Amino acid sequence: MTDDALPEAAQRRLASGAFSSGLTIPDFSACLAMGLRPVGLVQGFCVMKWSWYGAGSPYLQASTPYSSGGGGYAESYRCPHGFVSGDHRSWGQNYEQTWVEAAWAQGFGSAYARLVDEAVATGAHGVIGVVDTARHLSDLAVTEFHILGTAVVVEEGSPPPDGRPWTTYLAGQRLAKLIEAGFMPVALAAAMSSVRVWAYCMTDYLMEGRNFTWGGAGAQEVDQVVRAHMAVRQLARAQVRGQLGGDALHGARLTTSHRELGEGDEVVECTLRGTRVRRFKDFDPVEPPMPTVRLS
Amino acid sequence: MSQPDDLPKDAERRLEQLEHGLFTSDLSVNEFLLVKEVGFHPLGFVMGSSIYHTGIQMRKWGQSQELAKLTEAMYNARELAMTRMEEEATELGADGVVGVRLDVNYYEWGNDAAEFIAMGTAVKAEDGNSYRNKLGKPFTSDLSGQDFWTIMQTGYVPRGLVMGTCVYHIAHRGLGQALGSAGQNVELPNFTQALYEARELAMTRMQDEANELDANGIVGVRLEEKSHQWGSHTIEFLALGTAVSKVAGDVTLPRPITIISLDN
Repeated sequence: MTDDALPEAAQRRLASGAFSSGLTIPDFSACLAMGLRPVGLVQGFCVMKWSWYGAGSPYLQASTPYSSGGGGYAESYRCPHGFVSGDHRSWGQNYEQTWVEAAWAQGFGSAYARLVDEAVATGAHGVIGVVDTARHLSDLAVTEFHILGTAVVVEEGSPPPDGRPWTTYLAGQRLAKLIEAGFMPVALAAAMSSVRVWAYCMTDYLMEGRNFTWGGAGAQEVDQVVRAHMAVRQLARAQVRGQLGGDALHGARLTTSHRELGEGDEVVECTLRGTRVRRFKDFDPVEPPMPTVRLS
Repeated sequence: MSQPDDLPKDAERRLEQLEHGLFTSDLSVNEFLLVKEVGFHPLGFVMGSSIYHTGIQMRKWGQSQELAKLTEAMYNARELAMTRMEEEATELGADGVVGVRLDVNYYEWGNDAAEFIAMGTAVKAEDGNSYRNKLGKPFTSDLSGQDFWTIMQTGYVPRGLVMGTCVYHIAHRGLGQALGSAGQNVELPNFTQALYEARELAMTRMQDEANELDANGIVGVRLEEKSHQWGSHTIEFLALGTAVSKVAGDVTLPRPITIISLDN
């Protein structure tokens, strides 16, 4: 399946008479009030085989500590105790899983490109109310990316100069307020970063509450894990910043998750998404808000 | 109860009571007020049900395909439930049904049988105009009272709850395919194509229903995916939304007022 060929079923649907829209009624109403005419529900998919053991993964290396995995961020930690036993975690590492990030970018990017292709096929100027999901299908190694939005035409407006519709997560009054504030949506901006934490002895003991065994006492920061969480957020922000090209990011949503893969082995992931916006006019002053109290 | 136009005796008795002025409704107080404000009066809570036995269809392990027999079953069952609900509304002289919910329940006592239920509140226009759709039936819609009020302000009216379904078997990956992509991040075009095709079929069927009602568009489209009791590789894709038609000319919508809530 190539990015530039819409499935036959999609072409048939988009050629049909009635428009469809995934907008809620308030968003639909606000869309009409702004002079946006919905022309169709558009979507894009991509199912990716997700390899934790891909090129650059430490599993294909000789289990050498102090390497950076597939390039990018890496930090190493050495045991302060000297040799204790064969089971003792004498080294640890945080490293960026660039091959996982690349797979996410490819899956999201392909689904997004197909959504835009569908929007182009409807003659849309933009796509509003975009919702994206990534879910695991049969097992953890197969992930489906699904991006859905409502294609719109700007009444009395002209198509985008490059023929590619603008896209935004916003819809309804949130979009109206953005435009009133003098900004126009340009495109979605999204990235995922992934950092693997291979715990060394101190991290392992602290995480299991056994730090007193080795002379530790009281509350203590788990430095290796803290640094992994900070790094994963910074990496996602850096990737998104690279997509902005001087524009601003509006409605940023940053989510992090961590998953334990084994004892002292976990993955921290961060996804950052938002709408890339550009100023096109001065701010329209908004009327002072009216204070309200609900009677229910 | 073999034909959808045969309502049970108890339903007829209940509807007779409603015809004498008492109304029932599952609208909240706010919804009730907004439905009244827009010029409609609730007539009664209406529902339709169908217990349907879904047949068996052979699936090919390594081939993605639509399971037409199961698609037909899921479609027919919902249509039966919807038709019976519409008949209850027609019996009350309603112009439409708002807040329609369409549920599927499985019971332990019925293997491969499921109950499809449609329910909502029948409403009638107070200005005496008919809001029935092109087929002469009361319109149906899953809009809440608030959404119903809002859509009427835009110059659109609901024409019918439209849906499209597609039960699709997603092929399993063979050993060769699995080994071929081992250790790589790659797109699985067969999976992508199958899921794409299934969702598009469901959405096309939903749009076909809207076209039959001469609707201009469908709002609030939802895409639901369920495996029911068929296993993870067989999925029902259901597209559902409210078909609407524009009946008024250019409408100037009121400008929203910005507010600050003083509630906790």
